[in-house]
Amino acid sequence: MKKLSRVLLSSMLAVGGLLSNAAVSQVNAQEEYDLVVWEDVNKGIGIAAAVEKFEAEHGVNILVVEKAYAQQLEDLRLDGPAGSGPDVFTMPADQIGTAVVEGLVKEVNADDAVKASFTEASIQSQTVDGKLYGLPKSVETQILFYNKDLIAEEDLPDTLEGWYELSQNNTSDSFAFLALFDQLYYTMGVIGGYGGYIFNQDENGNYLPEEIGLNNAGAIEAVDYVSKFYTEKLFPDGIIGEQGINVLEALFVEGRVQAVISGPWNLEPFTSAGLNYGVKELPLLPNGEHMQSVAGVKSYNISSYTKNPELAEAFLLFITNEENSLVRYEETLEVPAVLALSEHPTVVENDAAEAIALQSEHAKLVPGIVQMNEVWNSMDPALQIVMNGQATAQEALDIAVQQIISTNQALQ
Amino acid sequence: MKDKQAPISAVLSLIPGLGQLFNRQYIKGFVIFSLFTAFMLVFSDFFQAGMWGFVTLGTEVPRDNSIFLLSEGLVALIIISIGLVFYSLNIRDAYVNGQRLSQGKQVNSIRGTYHAILNEGYPYLLTGPAFFVLLFSVVFPILFTISLAFTNYDLYHSAPANLADWVGLETFKKIFSVDIWRNTFVNVLGWTVVWTLVASTLQVSVGILLAIIVNQKKLKAKKFIRTIFMLPWAVPGFVTILIFGGLFNDSFGAINNQILASVGIGPISWMTDPNWTRIALLLIQTWLGFPYIFLVTTGTLQSIPDELYEASVMDGASAWQKFKQITLPIILYSMTPIIITQYTFNFNNFNIIYLFNGGGPAVLGSNAGGTDILVSWIYKLTMQNSQYALAAALTILLSVFVIFIALWQFRRSNSFKEVQ
Repeated sequence: MKKLSRVLLSSMLAVGGLLSNAAVSQVNAQEEYDLVVWEDVNKGIGIAAAVEKFEAEHGVNILVVEKAYAQQLEDLRLDGPAGSGPDVFTMPADQIGTAVVEGLVKEVNADDAVKASFTEASIQSQTVDGKLYGLPKSVETQILFYNKDLIAEEDLPDTLEGWYELSQNNTSDSFAFLALFDQLYYTMGVIGGYGGYIFNQDENGNYLPEEIGLNNAGAIEAVDYVSKFYTEKLFPDGIIGEQGINVLEALFVEGRVQAVISGPWNLEPFTSAGLNYGVKELPLLPNGEHMQSVAGVKSYNISSYTKNPELAEAFLLFITNEENSLVRYEETLEVPAVLALSEHPTVVENDAAEAIALQSEHAKLVPGIVQMNEVWNSMDPALQIVMNGQATAQEALDIAVQQIISTNQALQ
Repeated sequence: MKDKQAPISAVLSLIPGLGQLFNRQYIKGFVIFSLFTAFMLVFSDFFQAGMWGFVTLGTEVPRDNSIFLLSEGLVALIIISIGLVFYSLNIRDAYVNGQRLSQGKQVNSIRGTYHAILNEGYPYLLTGPAFFVLLFSVVFPILFTISLAFTNYDLYHSAPANLADWVGLETFKKIFSVDIWRNTFVNVLGWTVVWTLVASTLQVSVGILLAIIVNQKKLKAKKFIRTIFMLPWAVPGFVTILIFGGLFNDSFGAINNQILASVGIGPISWMTDPNWTRIALLLIQTWLGFPYIFLVTTGTLQSIPDELYEASVMDGASAWQKFKQITLPIILYSMTPIIITQYTFNFNNFNIIYLFNGGGPAVLGSNAGGTDILVSWIYKLTMQNSQYALAAALTILLSVFVIFIALWQFRRSNSFKEVQ
């Protein structure tokens, strides 16, 4: 009995030692590399050639790890201080306000020529309080996907009103047009086109979190207009809420909808589903304006925990230059943020890229300040309530704006 | 001189080991002395840093990470308490052995001490490692949560650019003074209480009722029926809830389209009207929860001696009287702890609330959704709003509530009183 317990005890100690060894070795393995780069899942191929060139030119070793880009900031919070974090990583630009407040990203020194090489909206998305915190990688915005088997390109209405009319022919299981207008991400396009805005800006372009334009006359008119689709049952109730996006995409893939508003993340999946689809810019609003759809910018940023800040910065400037952005586009089909490339033949000849580029001209950035979090948290439920028919646009938006202001004040 | 042996050696043991030396347990005293000296040498720096970090939560960014300092401080506190426990044991040991000497008995030699440890200390030796692990895997997280509730840790006080501070009861006050939190808290607490009471009562009643019905002597195919009734429990609840979420979909779910339509009832807005979502949740929880109660009740019923029923029949009891006077009291008596745990389980039933409709649908003027219970609201506060300190404060309130209710019920119920 005593011998057995001694054997057990010593083997437990050995296992414990091995386990702690494994954790330490992960950190050690990263120390063999000069730079650790976190890239988006399945997009590592886009920078593989650039990484090799950089390694050869500077005589360094770079490790590229793929992680979901929307969660990289969250992982950085834990891995950074522990020493197993990246030097360069990628994230959606709307997380930059949070990242700067927490001190997770390092300022980037780029001269004016470099800044001017990107589209204005994309470089603005990386600027907080006048300082640059990263460089843009790709731009995206919502576009109209239509099923070529159900509707021909010539028959596509140019206006939202046109889709409204087509929807009058809806049956209980086939629809002309669907969009997730109960989510601010999609409805912002309509609100913006009618004169609504999220945060007002002062002369220097700084956002004023106390001045919110989500319940002004334009915004209310916009929300009233889109709620028609729901109250007149042209959109089924099943696409409201958290699971709505799954239902919408399933309906489109099954060929029960002629057109949907969605984003470039669906280009691949719809193709793999074997759907014969086309893309186009978003339809015009009844007042003749383009939809000011939300512009999504993805960026490369430098972690503030990096041990090689100069090398990381050099790498950042290198992979976002025109040449490497073009190669990246060819491999990943993500529309680059470099201004000169939006007219490049390779980009223009791809329908999707062209649609995205055209719609991006009217797309608006979401403010990158921390107070934006509360906007999503309050506006989405409010829009849902309006689309459910449980409140009018005026009521719901007034309460939502009040909630945004008071919660942001409470959090200061 | 002899009478003062015990107190003197106890006082001497303030320097560990000296008391034992005074009691003529030389080797033991020496060992204790060297152990304590080693302990202090190894840990004194860690204690100093830990205590400094715990009290100040850092003074300089980016060098100091408030949360790391808090954790390290707590670990230091735990190790200090372990040290204090052994320290007091050492003093007590010196006192007790001093007394034995005063009474003229022999104190143990080193061999005697060794044997004493193995014999009387055996249970402590066995549970020691497990207790040690428990200290760090259970006690530490609880202390951490409690500490967080007294700080102001949120998005604006996150490392590495910011420090968090101790703010005492301010976070608790915020729950009741800030409009949006107060409204949300009251609404969510109200629904949580209603949900707990109704869902648990439903699932317990259905379980007991079905068990009694299936247990009737004249019923055939008992095993088959019991197997069917166990199925909702057999399939992982996680999967079932997700599937129910699809079944209850307003426009495309089978419940509206196939089941209700076939009896001519119009579509119900299950997922978009908070009240209907609540009803759906109650129904699903009943479905998920009754098999366990069914199983336990069946076991209890089969242990009721038949003589009781035969005697009651001879006294002219009706079926209802048999149920009320014999069956029900016996079931409730033996199952009270299990029934109480059903209530506490449902109070914190995160899975069903979050997986079915995300705690939604949304309601005006509330930070949480229409079907959010306290625990799912706390989850959203942490993950979506980064309000860590507020979430910790709510967790403490929630825990106090649950512990209080559970303790009160346990004490009230007869099953925990001594058998007379």
